[in-house]
Amino acid sequence: MTPAISVAGLTRRYRGQLALDDVTFDIEGASITGLLGRNGAGKTTLLRIIAAQEFASAGRVRVLGASPVQSDAIAGRVVLIREDQTFPELRVCQVLRVASLFYPNWSAELAEALLADFDLPPNRRVRKLSRGMRSAVGMVIGLAARAEVTLFDEPYAGLDPVARQIFYDRLLADYAVHPRTVLISTHLIDEIAGLLERMVVIDRGAIVLDAAADDLRGSVTSVRGPALAVQEFAAGRHTCGRRQLASQESVVVIGALAALDLARARALRLSLEPLSLQQVVIHAAGRPETDVRDRTSA
Amino acid sequence: MNMCLKVVRYHLAQRVMYVAAPWAALAFVFAVNLIIAAVTAPSQDPTKALAVIYVCFFALGILSIGRSLPFGLALGVSRRSYYAGTALFAVALAAADGLALTLLQALERATGRGWGVHLGFFRVSYIFAGPWYLTWLTSFTGLALLFVYGMWFGIVYRRWDIFGLLAFLAAQVTVVLVGAAWHSIGHFFTALSAAGLTGVLAALAAVLLAGGFATIRRITV
Amino acid sequence: MLDESAPIFSQVAEQLADQIADGGLAEGERVPSSNELAAYYRINPATAAKGINVLTDEGVLEKRRGIGMFVAAGARQRLLDERRKRFTERYIEPMVAEAGRLGIDAEALVELVRAYGHTQGGVTV
Repeated sequence: MTPAISVAGLTRRYRGQLALDDVTFDIEGASITGLLGRNGAGKTTLLRIIAAQEFASAGRVRVLGASPVQSDAIAGRVVLIREDQTFPELRVCQVLRVASLFYPNWSAELAEALLADFDLPPNRRVRKLSRGMRSAVGMVIGLAARAEVTLFDEPYAGLDPVARQIFYDRLLADYAVHPRTVLISTHLIDEIAGLLERMVVIDRGAIVLDAAADDLRGSVTSVRGPALAVQEFAAGRHTCGRRQLASQESVVVIGALAALDLARARALRLSLEPLSLQQVVIHAAGRPETDVRDRTSA
Repeated sequence: MNMCLKVVRYHLAQRVMYVAAPWAALAFVFAVNLIIAAVTAPSQDPTKALAVIYVCFFALGILSIGRSLPFGLALGVSRRSYYAGTALFAVALAAADGLALTLLQALERATGRGWGVHLGFFRVSYIFAGPWYLTWLTSFTGLALLFVYGMWFGIVYRRWDIFGLLAFLAAQVTVVLVGAAWHSIGHFFTALSAAGLTGVLAALAAVLLAGGFATIRRITV
Repeated sequence: MLDESAPIFSQVAEQLADQIADGGLAEGERVPSSNELAAYYRINPATAAKGINVLTDEGVLEKRRGIGMFVAAGARQRLLDERRKRFTERYIEPMVAEAGRLGIDAEALVELVRAYGHTQGGVTV
């Protein structure tokens, strides 16, 4: 099967600055993937190149089997409404009508329902809306388009938690009935973690983590206890974020723990706490000051 | 082609701006001229205020790129289709508005003494003084030319920002100066009939259209 | 509803199994579809489906073509048997370990359990 999105060796340079550095990944068929990373890590650039809003300096990008920059190759099949999307001088309802022109699968009912969910005034000019409401317009378009490849770039900038929850629920409900390839960049990892099948973490333009979200869950554990015991337990494992206070020490252990490890931790009187996916991503991309990456593994 | 028509419909969503704005401007200028003509001594000189609609078309050309292009690309439209659709829209709009100008010129003639106050607003000696079809063809070409010119400005600005725009203007000034220095070009223009001028404008519009297309192909939003 | 300790699919499977063991989902009853579970837990439908598959592989659930997933005959008994087997590992072990840390000896521990059972009325040890 042709992957929905296929990126190989993708590099983007801006005046000597590397925005994307040899990025390679494929997304097959229907799935929801999170594109995570810090500000300026290259998430938006990557999404823009996939949506043909930007060009690659080197590498190969295929969307639904075709080069996205090829004439109308992705028309009606890909949607990317950006966080800082420029809208024409139109009213909300007009913007939706324009968008509906370009998407054969457009659902007017869904757009209508979302408009009501987000309390969007249909006759207000989009440029007059608040930042959060403008984000909501982007969400409505992104969901109602039912495009085979649906890209969201920080879709909920300025939106309150209630509206975000509506977005997650609506996305999930519509995705269940109309599966598609969803790639969504965000900072709010814990909120969306359950929705994600896969997480791609990008830092300084390069992919630093690409894994099934469920595999990561429970695979990173914070270990806390007497310093000596912690050191004994951590020996030979991938660790990071070591911190010490008096005789107590805490360290983050990477890699799932087996039943035997759990028993051993109990014997050593250590307390174990699984890290949330948000913290996993922070450890993958954050390079915290305290990071003393222990590479003593056999 | 289908995609081009969709782009035309996209622009039509902003029909208030594209259709009403130029005519509102023209109506205002016309009203002012009408009053002036009514209170001052009759003069058969054309007012040249008709130029206002051409200026409007240039501005509309810029606007057809400015805010509309990024949203078009966000919806997956290719640059080529966006450009072709916008050019098609420009040509159709220029044809329709040119026809309206022709009708108004006929009306101005029919009122005998120029709206009863000797006002020469839609008749411009030399350019808009021939038969109706020539007036239509010349207005149409002129309006389309300015729209397409505006589009290229909009594209250059989006692609290279203000410095690109300045370089673009500097390049044009250079071309005009070099052309002016070349003696025979002056002869060429003075010898031109209104029909010949229309032909030159059409050729120029084609050149601008090609230039804009070459520039939009690598535009990013 | 779900936490970070384990993959979501196994938590979903665990919670469905809990309901079956408690009798909340009777044998022969239809279990929620992966989309229903996805909407309820706010998780990816593929993850929910994976959780259902775990129970199908264990023979706890069975598929009826075109209708959905149902609790298999004998599923409740099998789950209870398995849980009894894992009782020591899951509950006794950590309790004894903590008791040792606190200096509670075996006699005292048994006494504590018995006293607690009395206050609950139900369990007698």
